[in-house]
Amino acid sequence: MSEVLKVSGLEKRYPAFHLENVGFTLEKGRIMGFIGRNGAGKTTTLKALLSLIHPDGGQIRFFGMDYEGSERQIRQRVGFASGGVNYYPRKKLKDITAVTKRFYDSWDEDAYRACLKAFALDEEKKPMELSEGMKVKYNLAVALSHKAELLILDEPTSGLDPVSRDELLEIFLDLAKTGTAILFSTHITSDLEKCADDITYIKDGKIRESSSLNDFLGAYRMLEIPSGVPVPEAALGVSRSRSGASVLLKAEDAAGLPARSADLEEIMIHLEKEKEEE
Amino acid sequence: MKNLLIKEFRLAASPLSYFFLAFSLMVFIPGYPILVGAFFICLGIFYSFQSGREQNDTVYTALLPLPKRAFVQSKYIFTAAVEAAAFLLMTAFTLVRMFALGSSEVYQTNPMMNANLFFLAYVLILFGLFNLIFLGGFFRTGYYFGKPFIVFTVAGFLWIVLAEALHHFPGLAWLNTPAPENMGRQLAALAVGLVLFVLMTLLSYRGSVKKFETIDL
Repeated sequence: MSEVLKVSGLEKRYPAFHLENVGFTLEKGRIMGFIGRNGAGKTTTLKALLSLIHPDGGQIRFFGMDYEGSERQIRQRVGFASGGVNYYPRKKLKDITAVTKRFYDSWDEDAYRACLKAFALDEEKKPMELSEGMKVKYNLAVALSHKAELLILDEPTSGLDPVSRDELLEIFLDLAKTGTAILFSTHITSDLEKCADDITYIKDGKIRESSSLNDFLGAYRMLEIPSGVPVPEAALGVSRSRSGASVLLKAEDAAGLPARSADLEEIMIHLEKEKEEE
Repeated sequence: MKNLLIKEFRLAASPLSYFFLAFSLMVFIPGYPILVGAFFICLGIFYSFQSGREQNDTVYTALLPLPKRAFVQSKYIFTAAVEAAAFLLMTAFTLVRMFALGSSEVYQTNPMMNANLFFLAYVLILFGLFNLIFLGGFFRTGYYFGKPFIVFTVAGFLWIVLAEALHHFPGLAWLNTPAPENMGRQLAALAVGLVLFVLMTLLSYRGSVKKFETIDL
């Protein structure tokens, strides 16, 4: 498979936060879910990818090219959206598009018209008149019309109702089939179970894990223990409930125990608890 | 460059930037500090910066397939375009006032600044100060424009007061001629004004590009 995005050793220091040695690889036609709790560094990482913020170190390569020196070429092939369209709220979509398309060499007007139709977008409307879902769809329509080969989306499903989220995820699946790579951050882990091929999990500014969804899920087991029963030493994280507690274990540590498979949300919640236990 | 200018005109700019071009007509007002008209042009441009910030123009531009400095370029091109339009209007009105109305009593006895090529040089210097102080100040953060505009207002009005006062200094009354007299001196002053405008704008632009590159959006 061809490499679309490779990030290695990415660093960004703020007074109260440090993005440290972030690295992952995304390949063509794959959907990567970028997960982590609020403030873990997801948005900082995504912004650093497109130089909206300046990394203090590390290397970012798109389509095998360094960002530095190939910025314009890379930007032509990448679509980025932070949620829905959040600019020029009082301008009509057709006016925004009329300006935007002037900057893209590969703008495909037919593809744009097809997207408008498929997403039921009315060009006469203004961003302020669109629902959150429609705002995301407009951003996607623009990205797809300049034939973006990589979509970087910061929490595109936040604020969407379940039906709109499902529609959007199906769009992602269709896009991936055509070879588009998608990197999207979210803390709604159920979205990823539906469509992600890969998971990159960031915690406190560090990449805790980056692997295929199946490998990620397969690496952990959940153990339910009643109140009063001691927590196994190998526990990665513990979440208390009324009847006892749930414990996250590494799959190899759960051998012989009545553990079950864990879903993404459980893994994330328990790994975040890890800090509290330390 | 053309696309950036279209982006400014169609999406980011405030209509006030265009409406305020009408203040160029202040050139015709006798007994009034007509250089204030050029200040209003700057105020009109300021409204576009306000409008752009409110509309998230920075992020939109930063995500276009352009280098980061394109945002800085777009603002300088837009500002220079509005200033050029205002300057052309003021030049046309000044020439009308000098050549067709210069002998009228109301301008002959005008105690305030008359419209001539010296006045146009003052206009260029005021625009240069705006580019140097306001634009340069805005791009230190890419976001805050209040303080840079206040600093420009103070500097701009000091310049207006000085320019108004100049022809009252002994031996400088010729600066205020309402007619096409001393054209050599008038043209030389205009050239100096133009050079200062270009220098202040270029100095400001270079500093803004350098500073904006380091800003996290």
